[in-house]
Amino acid sequence: MDVRKLTKLSLLTSIALVIFVIELRLPNIVPIPGVKLGLANIVTVYALYNYGVRDTAMICVVRIFLGSLFSGNLMAMLFGFGGSLLCILGMSLLKRAVTDKYLWLLSIFGAVFHNIGQIAVACAVMQTFAVIGYLPFLIVTGCIAGLFTGICAQLLILRMKKR
Amino acid sequence: MKKTVFLITACAVVFLASAVISVVMLNAPSGDIVKIKSDGELLYTIDLSKSPNKTIVVEYNGKKNTLEIKDHKIRVLEADCPDKVCVNAGWLDSTAIPIICLPNKLIIEYENNDADAAAR
Amino acid sequence: MRKFVVIFVCCILFFCGCADSAHESASDISAAQSDNVSLHTAELFAMDTYMALKAYCADDKPLNSAQAIIEMLEKELSVTLPDSDISRLNNAQGEKIELNCDCVELIKNALDLCERTNGALDITIYPILREWGFTTGDYKIPTPENIRSLLTNVNYSAVWAAENSIQLPSGYMIDLGAVAKGYTSDKIISLFKENGITSAIISLGGNVHALGSKPDGSAWKIALTDPNLPQTYIGNLEIVDKAVITSGSYERYFTGDDGTRYCHIISPFDGYPVNNGIASVTVIGDSGVLCDALSTALFVMGKEAAVEHWRKYCDFEMIIITDAGEITVTEGIQSNFSLSRPYEQNKLEVIYR
Repeated sequence: MDVRKLTKLSLLTSIALVIFVIELRLPNIVPIPGVKLGLANIVTVYALYNYGVRDTAMICVVRIFLGSLFSGNLMAMLFGFGGSLLCILGMSLLKRAVTDKYLWLLSIFGAVFHNIGQIAVACAVMQTFAVIGYLPFLIVTGCIAGLFTGICAQLLILRMKKR
Repeated sequence: MKKTVFLITACAVVFLASAVISVVMLNAPSGDIVKIKSDGELLYTIDLSKSPNKTIVVEYNGKKNTLEIKDHKIRVLEADCPDKVCVNAGWLDSTAIPIICLPNKLIIEYENNDADAAAR
Repeated sequence: MRKFVVIFVCCILFFCGCADSAHESASDISAAQSDNVSLHTAELFAMDTYMALKAYCADDKPLNSAQAIIEMLEKELSVTLPDSDISRLNNAQGEKIELNCDCVELIKNALDLCERTNGALDITIYPILREWGFTTGDYKIPTPENIRSLLTNVNYSAVWAAENSIQLPSGYMIDLGAVAKGYTSDKIISLFKENGITSAIISLGGNVHALGSKPDGSAWKIALTDPNLPQTYIGNLEIVDKAVITSGSYERYFTGDDGTRYCHIISPFDGYPVNNGIASVTVIGDSGVLCDALSTALFVMGKEAAVEHWRKYCDFEMIIITDAGEITVTEGIQSNFSLSRPYEQNKLEVIYR
């Protein structure tokens, strides 16, 4: 990996981390655990668009690891890994089918996959399938949050491209 | 382009399906498990959502209360108590307030109560 | 040098993370310590009603003692049991009767409350209550002459209380029904406290008394019955460490031959069942006896006098529901009371001091 790329990826990671930490400070509007805007996913979508699955996964893993150290919430790390990895996997599969104008769609699907991953981890950790009941709520809020971050990511990607 | 249309449709379907399921789940009756107790002793625990229509006779000191389960609801159909408060109470529809037959020491209540106690 | 800085920063990051998780494990330990405390429940039929006790404690012992207290008090205070202390007093034909201190204490307490409510609560109402059949279930409408003659034997100030004895004028009878359950719940709650219990809720036939809050620190949720439709609840009340006691015309009533509905709450002023548009009065306060007595007295007084009483004394809050379904809530309890969904359209009036 050349230094240029390494620097860029590191920069993206730190941006994601900063967004993540700032978002932690925002008050939670919906009082369901696991529901949040997920602004750091703007970076994930951007990275996936410009780099490969492996690079994006690296950014996410580092971001989640450091992020949960910052927040002191180690459970969040587990859920984050499960969610993010499935999210990246899903988005990378759909990436080719989505044109530049519809990048926000990618993000919505990413959010849905993220929620499914979270719930899968929750099922494994709590050793019960009862948490699946959460999934519909998570997906509804996830779609809305995904649309928002998706539009942000799309604007960002298209503007960066023009340069 | 076709793919995009397909993806948008898929997305909309997932969203709407989840929204509908969420709404249904939020409105689902929270307490479906009913406990029937006689003189403080738990006689039956019945899941109303699964139970077929039937009648149950509960006896206490030779006094009878006939309970009816119908269309996932429960009530006291007949009782040989003097006040008939339990029969007049009709179907058990509050998760907070049980049906009580004082003379025959019978209680019918939902298991997952909305409240910790009911003030009467 | 650079390496050193990197390691140093890494260490700081790690410890930042640890600080919070250290907090968590500390609270885990405190949770584990209280782990041997679990929910214990008891249910029994006593004092003509259904009682449910729930307490978070280590074993069933406190609940067993509570049941013993209930049974003991029932034997002392019941008007229907022929050899209860109260029955002995009622059959004394004007003699002075020695009673044990529980009983005397409660009668004195009740007399103070009769005084405080200017006779809206009157423990000597029993002869009239019996005449209407509310104690026997043999309901009838007494003749006006009958009521008038019985009313001459209704006056709480004629009850004479000494150190450990009570004297009733001949022909007088008392009934502690309006305070007995509140007194019992006070006794049980103080028993629980002596046993180190910090979280319990008891319901003595709908007279609710909570000790502390739920184990997780949240308030107890009490469902309030709709007096006009007693199988549904009109709203939820969130309370910590309070008694919640309701008097309602729906609890016990009969329909006379004249088609009128007569409820079991009888006005000591005219000897007739109260019919003033109130369907139920709920009193929330620290003392079970006070709440129990006031719920009856305020019902008798009517809404305006009840509000006046609330303004004069600052030791209770109340919720009044009328026959028309209008709900009146006092200022202090307003934020803890929420209407249940089917009742959100009901008229809710808040009374301020």
